[in-house]
Amino acid sequence: MFSFWGKGLLKGLSVTGKVIFRKNLTEEYPLVKPNIPSQWRGGFAYEKDKCIACGICVLECPNDAILLVKEKDENNKNVPKEYKINLGYCLSCGLCVESCPVNCIHFTKEFESATYLKKESVLDLFNNQNLEAERSTYGKPVEKKEEKEEGIL
Amino acid sequence: MRTQTYKINLGPQHPSTHGVLHVVLEIDGETIVGSETNIGYLHRGIEKLAENKKYPQVIPYTDRLDYLAGMSNNLLYVQTVEKMLGTEVPERASYIRVIIAELMRIANHMVGIGIYIMDLGAVTGVFYPFIQREHILDLFSKLCGSRMTFNYMRIGGVAVDIDEDFIRGTEIFLDQLPKMLHEYHTLVDENEIFLSRTKNIGKISKSQAESFGLTGPNLRASGLGYDLRKVAPYEVYDRFDFNIPVAYNGDCFDRYIVRMQEVEESIKIIRQAMAQLPQGEIKAKLPRIIKPEAGDCYHQAENPKGILGCYLVSDGTPKPYRVHFRRPSFNNISIFDEVAIGHKIADFIAIMASFDFVLGEVDA
Amino acid sequence: MEFLDNIFLYGTSIIRSIITWIGFDPAITNMIMAAVYTVAILVICTLVALFYVLYERKLAGFIQYRPGPNKLGPFGLFQTVADAVKLLTKEDIVPRNADKALHFLAPLFVFIPPILALGAIPFGNKLVAVDLNIGMLYILAVTSLSTIPFFLAGWSSNNKYTMLGAMRAVSQKISYEIPVIFSVLAITMIAGSLNMSEVVGMQGKLWFVFVQPLSFLIFFIAGIAETNRAPFDLPEGESELTAGYLTEYSGMKWALFFLAEYCSMFVFSAMATTLFLGGWLGPVLPGWMWFVLKVHVLMTVIIWIRWTFPRIRVDKLLEFNWKILIPASILNIFATGIGVYLFNNFF
Repeated sequence: MFSFWGKGLLKGLSVTGKVIFRKNLTEEYPLVKPNIPSQWRGGFAYEKDKCIACGICVLECPNDAILLVKEKDENNKNVPKEYKINLGYCLSCGLCVESCPVNCIHFTKEFESATYLKKESVLDLFNNQNLEAERSTYGKPVEKKEEKEEGIL
Repeated sequence: MRTQTYKINLGPQHPSTHGVLHVVLEIDGETIVGSETNIGYLHRGIEKLAENKKYPQVIPYTDRLDYLAGMSNNLLYVQTVEKMLGTEVPERASYIRVIIAELMRIANHMVGIGIYIMDLGAVTGVFYPFIQREHILDLFSKLCGSRMTFNYMRIGGVAVDIDEDFIRGTEIFLDQLPKMLHEYHTLVDENEIFLSRTKNIGKISKSQAESFGLTGPNLRASGLGYDLRKVAPYEVYDRFDFNIPVAYNGDCFDRYIVRMQEVEESIKIIRQAMAQLPQGEIKAKLPRIIKPEAGDCYHQAENPKGILGCYLVSDGTPKPYRVHFRRPSFNNISIFDEVAIGHKIADFIAIMASFDFVLGEVDA
Repeated sequence: MEFLDNIFLYGTSIIRSIITWIGFDPAITNMIMAAVYTVAILVICTLVALFYVLYERKLAGFIQYRPGPNKLGPFGLFQTVADAVKLLTKEDIVPRNADKALHFLAPLFVFIPPILALGAIPFGNKLVAVDLNIGMLYILAVTSLSTIPFFLAGWSSNNKYTMLGAMRAVSQKISYEIPVIFSVLAITMIAGSLNMSEVVGMQGKLWFVFVQPLSFLIFFIAGIAETNRAPFDLPEGESELTAGYLTEYSGMKWALFFLAEYCSMFVFSAMATTLFLGGWLGPVLPGWMWFVLKVHVLMTVIIWIRWTFPRIRVDKLLEFNWKILIPASILNIFATGIGVYLFNNFF
């Protein structure tokens, strides 16, 4: 092949020129919801009936984002009285979910967690357990095989 | 005619300082005659934060060091703690770590190259590599639920086992990556403007690179093939057949080409690792509370940007006494003030971009 | 066909007859007609800017695996309008130490050269606002004025980055005018006329691009540099000088610079079409449509180039001009002169 000044430029143009006719890859996000993977670490769901108020999640949290107030019930067992996660401090590291001995705290597949007010970023999970949200499988023992998701490419 | 030099502030708010790097350039016309790099605008005090965390709790913070290579930072930290504890990592976990770290390296280099070309003015150059990175981040978010702040490595293993979905996805990704690399080479490599912007610009000699403590692709572009994966293999790197790309001019173009070649080597490593992947445990048995004996330990690994080191001091409590990171970007950018002299402003942008540094790591 | 070809001429003659029918005297009629032409050119300018801003964003999107703006109206057609409205409502920030008058005037001046130049460009057969005998010279003269607003903008902002941008703009634009003029000179030598319409008329058999390929190449490259387009967008150079001479501009003042860039691109493409690509000549379609089509192809190439190439360095830019383009264009003039002499005397 003979070479001349500007050959590289023309080659470059040929690459970008080809791409013009390819399919675009944009996800039109607010109109089309993204496909959230099953392990997603997003919002939280909390089963207060299961919770034994052991406080391991509070100890495991690197950023002190969890507030747990416990009380004794009639059988002299610890039960939670208040359970809050401050998403403003949360790193979404998942150490609390992994460490829970009774599997009462779950990640959900929620991902739009922006709020208008700072105080709204504190999740009062005791009063709003958020059980209806779709749960993620993060930190849960592998039991059932999730249905296959679409290929990545 | 009386002329005088003057100073301009490149950054902290500037489109191509990769965040908040601040360089005071003394300029004669457009030629740089003096340069002073100021850092610290992104200091989060990770070293101090780590003093009040338990050992596993530090892992999520390491994601925020070099936020383009979170997995590699995770890996280095847990390796250091394991070294301190004397833990043996299960073989499968070791293989998974290698696969993940090499995928992370590809993702990091994709960003590094893309931003480099964009800073030279070819904005399209950033999109093609970013698409590839996006595939990797998709794989990672399927694996561990997060796209940037993974917190995936665990002391003694990894958090989640990889499944067939992940392996299949990785194979599909690796199959189409060489095609994109080839296309990118065609787009960039012979482009006369790109060559004139990068050839013989920002030349760093081998001895200069050594004395400033450059590591990673920046060092290997200056002719010294020093790579910890070969020199002091950690995990199972000694079981794979791969080369260390080296270039000898030490200019901006070499730093680009070394990165591109490293991506190809990473593909090789991942393919071998996936072929050899053994079955078994993914996490060593460790006590619930990790309490290394009093003492200290230094460990380093080849991160995408260079050698990341971690110096760990334990006083026998569940919390580390000190966690200090030797961040490659911090050492790499120390040479800016010396290299910049005599170049044009536009060259300085090219030099900065070719170094592929991340301010999260520089300021820690 | 005949009707479509002359539709704009019919339009103007209808307006003219209406004005005479009302009963103005001829002098006033001519003045009103001049105003009509001016408005027409302003409309063209606005439409061109609005359309090509969108078109560039679309094409850039396609090159980058994106759809480009596609939400506002069909294919995002109203995106530019929406952006303009948004820019109009933005706060107009003027630096405290800026030269306020010049800072205000620069964005206004920047539109003048393209508007003036469009007046002498034939959009079709006889479809030209002012058919000047020295059309080429006139256009080259007015487009060379476009250096001034850029320097004004950079100087008046009183900022080191804008100053650097302004210096780059001046050195780049002034030096790249020379190859532009030289390459046009070669055409003049062949055509023997400075009248744009006549030059087009001579290209009936063969476009001048085939007679003067080197000249076209030089004109094209230098034209991209003249209009500050990548890879020669050094005065703006957003990765080096933040935004060059535009750094201190915001809101509508910035938008004016932005839109003027597309107008001058259009002027330059129109010139290239007229001088090298046979202007309005072409089969089947009406003349003005051919003209628009050819200009559109050139604009597409310019945009395509912008989204592919890195930015050239400032000293390399001037080196390229003085060491390659200008010697090449001078040689081309010599060759053309010899060719014209041989042609006239021996054939």
